[in-house]
Amino acid sequence: MLTFIIKRLAVAIPTLLILVIFSYLIMYAAPGGPFDSERQLPPQVMANLMAKYGLDQPLIVQIARYVWNVVVHFDFGPSFIYKDQTVNDIIRQGFPVTLTYGFWSFVVATSVGMSLGILAAIYHNSWLDYLAVGISVGAQVLPNFVMAPILVLTFTLWLGWLPGGGWQGGQWQYVIMPVIALSTSFMASISRLTRSSMLEVLNANYIRTARAKGLPMRRVIFRHALKPALLPVISYLGPAFVGMITGSVVIDIYFSTGGIGIFFVNSAINRDYSVIMGITILTGALTVLFNLVVDILYAWIDPKIRY
Amino acid sequence: MLTSRTAARSLETAEIGPAIEGRSLWADARIRFFRNKAAVAGLIVLIFVALFALFGSHLTPWSNEEVDWSVLGNVEEAGRPSIATRHFFGTDALGRDLFARTVQGTQISLMVGLIGAMIAVVVGTIYGATAGYYGDRVDNIMMRIVDVLMSVPYMFVLILLLVVFGRSVLLLFVGIGLISWLDMARIARGQTLSIKNKEFVEAAHAIGVRPATIIRRHIVPNLLGVVIVYATLLVPNMIIYESFISFLGLGVQEPLTSWGALISDGASQMQYGTLWMLGFPLFFFVITLFAFFFVGDGLRDALDPKDR
Repeated sequence: MLTFIIKRLAVAIPTLLILVIFSYLIMYAAPGGPFDSERQLPPQVMANLMAKYGLDQPLIVQIARYVWNVVVHFDFGPSFIYKDQTVNDIIRQGFPVTLTYGFWSFVVATSVGMSLGILAAIYHNSWLDYLAVGISVGAQVLPNFVMAPILVLTFTLWLGWLPGGGWQGGQWQYVIMPVIALSTSFMASISRLTRSSMLEVLNANYIRTARAKGLPMRRVIFRHALKPALLPVISYLGPAFVGMITGSVVIDIYFSTGGIGIFFVNSAINRDYSVIMGITILTGALTVLFNLVVDILYAWIDPKIRY
Repeated sequence: MLTSRTAARSLETAEIGPAIEGRSLWADARIRFFRNKAAVAGLIVLIFVALFALFGSHLTPWSNEEVDWSVLGNVEEAGRPSIATRHFFGTDALGRDLFARTVQGTQISLMVGLIGAMIAVVVGTIYGATAGYYGDRVDNIMMRIVDVLMSVPYMFVLILLLVVFGRSVLLLFVGIGLISWLDMARIARGQTLSIKNKEFVEAAHAIGVRPATIIRRHIVPNLLGVVIVYATLLVPNMIIYESFISFLGLGVQEPLTSWGALISDGASQMQYGTLWMLGFPLFFFVITLFAFFFVGDGLRDALDPKDR
């Protein structure tokens, strides 16, 4: 087990390094420096500014220093646009919000998606099955940026039940719509995956044996069917998590929740490179970490995987 | 629905006639596909959307950038969808004809979907087939690279690229295509691993055919079934990616538009009661995605050897 974890780490760490270096190179190659403005700065001032941010060093030194700061001090440097804020300040401000609704979306998508899929498979070809399939097919074509306006239209403009945006420290009225918008399409994928793998398992010989020896259905499902059926679903959780973090961009724009997504888009439009890089690297790190956890979980649950 | 049923029926009767001649694998697949009603309905919807994109601009007197000054300032009332003003889908908030804009947006979205999927399929198939065919060390390294790339948050990197190098349709197309070739590479590799041990590959190898030719002439054609299925399921994802980026305002630039941009515009005008601005683009977006998913499922049932 330990060797497996070490092996996976050996892939994860270079991945992160490549991501950091790659984003730095893109930023370096970008036309126009961070301090270009309407008014031409005097060359001395420019040189001082460049020196202050270490941009006068050779490329390799810059990259090494950036990597060092990010990896060792977890410091993404100052924002180029907001002179009084560092990238860390911005992340500290937006990230808790994103994590809050991201976490709930993840919980909703997996719990509802899995239960729907399992029920649909157990009651195969019943109205419940058709309902579950209908929901998952319908939800597939409703990505978050489509779901968000539909929700606001229904619950804010027509019914007037929920506020159309804002965060207010994460009160439940403000969290519901972001969570639904973000989780719907993932819930659909998870329920579809669960249903088909559960159906496959329920038709397997060992399930028939378990039923033939007279075990109650409940026991057959919980003891024998569930674990192998949920394995393929677990491997989807990594990509689903990434999708939800990426989806925060839409949620933050649409519901003005103030998460990390809005900072990403604003800095993208303002060309605030250090903030874009910081957020890209942070989500990349989270992605790698989450995939690592999922892989280890998978290896731990699935006896077929040798490590 | 009526047409789909008659189409399916005529095919069913047609199938009885030439059955004695013996059918190729592809003919077999075609028959299986046309028996699937949802897939045929999806195909008809796709043809309708494609015709709409190709010839829709001839149906309206307005162009996609022309502002109708007579409705400006009173879009909520005068900009409604109506036959009389020739604004079949109404106008957008700036008084531009929504029908013309939807036609144009459909063109861009379909094009992104098709070109993106094509890039992903070509790159992924070649990469996967090469890795699978050479095996061992080469395979190990090539697939390790895929693993590494898999854990990059591509949407963010693509946005980064669009910001740094300027928003261009070309970069959007290529970028979206390059996001998705990784899965394709894995699938192609898996298939290649099973194909390369077949006798015909061995025979080709024995008579001294070069590896590159074997991959091109013998491996790739046998991958086609799986590739086609995956490509069809890839197109809607490409459309979603593009719409996502356009929704953020980082995609195609005015006066060009796409479904994502139109949905975003419509959504921002919602509170004024001009629901047609959201409704029409959303309708085309949703039916096209549905159609692609159904056609993809139908193709999978028809072509996937596992399910026979």
